[in-house]
Amino acid sequence: MTTIQNYSDTQPLHQNQYQSAPADAFPGAGSSDIDELIQGNPKLWRGCDMAGQGMHGRSTGFSQLDAILPGRGWPEKGLMEVITPHWGMGELQLLIPLMRSIVEQGKWILWISPPYLLYAPALVQAGINTDQVLVVKLDTSCKDALWSMEKALQTENCGLVLAWQNWLPTKVLRRLQLAADTGDTLGVLFKHHDSEHSPSPIRLRIQDSYSDNAGFNESEVTVIKARGNFRSLSANINLYQQT
Amino acid sequence: MKDPDSEAQLPLPCIAPVSGAQIIQLPARSKSLALEQTSKTATSEASSKPITRRGKSNSLWYALYLPQLSELDSTQQKKYLTQLAKLAQGVSSTVSFHPQALICEIRSSLKYFAGIDAIHQKLQEPIEEQLQQWNLADDFCYAASPTVRGSLLLAKSGHNALIYRQENLRSALGQLSTDVLDLNKEQRRRLLNMGIRYLRDIWRLPSDGLRKRFGSNFVNQLNQALGKAAEPTHNYIPPPAFSASYDLPYELENLDRLLPITDELLAQLCDFLQRRDLSTSSLVLSLFHEKRDSTEVSIGLRMASRSQKHLTLLLETHFDKLSIPAPVIAIKIEVKKFDAFFVKSDSLLKDETPASTSYNDRNLIQFMEQLQARLGENYVKSVSNAAQHCPEHANLQLDYKEKLNRRSSVAMPAEASMNPRPLWLLQEPRQLNINKGRLFYRRPIAIVSGPERIETHWWSGIDVCRDYYVARELNGSRLWIYKEKNHTGKWYLHGIFA
Repeated sequence: MTTIQNYSDTQPLHQNQYQSAPADAFPGAGSSDIDELIQGNPKLWRGCDMAGQGMHGRSTGFSQLDAILPGRGWPEKGLMEVITPHWGMGELQLLIPLMRSIVEQGKWILWISPPYLLYAPALVQAGINTDQVLVVKLDTSCKDALWSMEKALQTENCGLVLAWQNWLPTKVLRRLQLAADTGDTLGVLFKHHDSEHSPSPIRLRIQDSYSDNAGFNESEVTVIKARGNFRSLSANINLYQQT
Repeated sequence: MKDPDSEAQLPLPCIAPVSGAQIIQLPARSKSLALEQTSKTATSEASSKPITRRGKSNSLWYALYLPQLSELDSTQQKKYLTQLAKLAQGVSSTVSFHPQALICEIRSSLKYFAGIDAIHQKLQEPIEEQLQQWNLADDFCYAASPTVRGSLLLAKSGHNALIYRQENLRSALGQLSTDVLDLNKEQRRRLLNMGIRYLRDIWRLPSDGLRKRFGSNFVNQLNQALGKAAEPTHNYIPPPAFSASYDLPYELENLDRLLPITDELLAQLCDFLQRRDLSTSSLVLSLFHEKRDSTEVSIGLRMASRSQKHLTLLLETHFDKLSIPAPVIAIKIEVKKFDAFFVKSDSLLKDETPASTSYNDRNLIQFMEQLQARLGENYVKSVSNAAQHCPEHANLQLDYKEKLNRRSSVAMPAEASMNPRPLWLLQEPRQLNINKGRLFYRRPIAIVSGPERIETHWWSGIDVCRDYYVARELNGSRLWIYKEKNHTGKWYLHGIFA
C-alpha cells in the first residue's frame, strides 16, 4: 500500500508510478483548453485519469483526500461505501464539506435511519441549513429504508442520501447505483464490513491511526476502490482542520 | 314577520270548508298561478311551458327511500348509497343521490325489463341482501312518478305508488301530509298554525304569498314535484375501468407475434387515459388458451405512466421472460387502478439551470408525500435547533409538514456556540464505568479537551449541572462525555462526533 503523504500535492502521482502518461507526452503544446475539456468530463475516462488527476470530481475539502481520488474529489453521482469498524470514526466529518456545498446548491440531504439522533446544533455549527435536512427514523424496516433510498436517489432535488445498512446483496447495490445515476444523486452507504465484490464505484475505509503522538484530529482514510484507481491508496487527513 | 302570519290566518278558514268541492277547480287556478310565474320571469308562457312539459313527461323516476340510513353519519351514508347506486346501475343509466334516497330514471328501461314490476323485483332482492349485510332493517320505500321530487315525496310518505302520467301527479301528491316536505322548524310551525296538513291545502294558496312567507325554496320544491321547475340531479358516476380484448383468428405460439395486437390494445388504453387525464401504475394482461386456465401477467409500474412507448417496452420485457403452456387464442388488457396524471414541465430556455429549482418543487413534494405514505406520518422528521443551553433541549424533531409551516417564522440563530457539538446525540445518556482509574465505554477512554460547564434548567426542577469533555475511545470513536457535578459524580456518554 502506497501512502500518499510522501508526495507533495503539486507533484502528480503518475509521474512516479506510470511512466507513459499521454497527458504529459506533449508538454506545453497549447493543449490546456483541450485538457480542461477532457478532464472536466466525468464520462470520459483516460488511462491516466486516476488518483489526483482530472477535475471532474467535487472537492472533498481535504487536500490529502482529493489527491487520492480520481477527478480530485467525490463523484457527482453514484454510490459510495464508507466502511468503519464502528460508528463515530469521523465518517460524517469527512462528508461535512460536501454536505455544505450540496445545501448551498439548494438540494436536500436525506438521512435514512441513522443509528443515533441527528443533532441539529452541530449541523448549524458546521454551516448546514437544517431546513434542507430530512431524517427517516431508525425503526424503519430494512425494506422500507431501501425503498426510500431508491426513491430519494431518483429524485433530482435530493443531493445526498445517507444510509446505514450493513449487508446488502449485489443486486440491491446495482439497483441503487442505477437509481443514483438517473437522479444525478450521490448515495453514501455506511457499513461495518467491506465486501470485495461490491459493485459500488467508490469504497472508502476509515481506520484509526491512533498512537500516542497522533492527535484527536487525525484519521487514516483508505480508498479501497475507486473507478479509475488501479489500487488502493490511503492518506492521513486532519478531520477538524476547518474548525 | 308577525303581521303576515296573523293576516294569513284570516282568509284560511274561508277556503278550508269548501276544499272538497274545489278539487275540480284546482287545475284552473294552479294554471293561472303558473301563468303569473312565467310572466314574472319575463318569458312567453306559450313557448316555455310546453317544452318543459314535454321534456319531463318523457322520464319516469323510480325512488328508493331508506329511512334506516338516517341513523348513520354522513360519510357512512355516502358510502352505503354509493354501494346501492352500483346495484341500481343494473336497471338504469341515470342514478341520482339524495339524502337517504336513490332515484333512478327507468322510462328508458321499461321496455327492456318488460314493466316496472320486473324492475322492482330485480332491485329488491340484492338491496335487501345488502342491507342485511350491513345489519340494517331490510325494508325500504319506493315509488315512481314523472318527477324526481314527486317520486321522492311519494316514497317518503310510505305510499309505494306508481304514477305514470304527469296529469295525475297533482292529485296523488295532494293526499300526502306536509311532513314529507323538507322544512325547517319555523316553516313547520307556520304551516301548522295556518291549518295546513296536506299538500293539496298548499296548492290552494297563491304562490306569491307562499313565496313571501316560506321563501322561494319552498315554492321551488313544490314546483319541482309537479314538474314545473327544473330539477337538479347528482348523478352517480361509476369509477373508471378499462378492459380491451382481442380474439385471435388463429392460435399463436410465438409471443412476439402478439406484439402488434398488444400495441393496438395499448393504444386504446392510452387513448382512454388521455381522455380522462389519468395515468396508470398497474395493468393486468391475460392470455387465454384453449381448455386451460388463462395466463395472467400483472405489470406494475414504479411511476404511473400513460406513454404507449413505455408500456409497450414493459410488455416486451415481460414477454421475453414469459413461457406459455399452450397456444394463445385471445388476449385481454385490464386496468382497474388509476392515478392522477402529472407532467413535468420543461423549461422554455435550454440554459435554465436545474439548480434554480426551489425546494418547493412539485417533484420533491410528490416524493415526500410518497415517502410519508409508505413509511407513515411520523417516520419522516426534519431537525431544527432551539436556543437552549441544555444539549438535549437544543434539538427539535419536527414532522415534515410542521416544518413547512414553520419555515418562515424560524430564523437561523445568529451565532451557535463555538464549543464543539457532536453530530449524533444518544437518546438517553449512557453511564460509563470506571475501571482501574480509567473511563471505560467499550474500550478505555482518554479525555482530549474540556471541560465545558453547562449549568441550566434549574427552573424545571431537573437541575442540569454538567462538565462536558471531548474524549476519544481507544478504538477511534470520538465521544462527548460529561461528569455530573452533584454528589454522585458519575460519568455519562452523551454524544458521538462522527
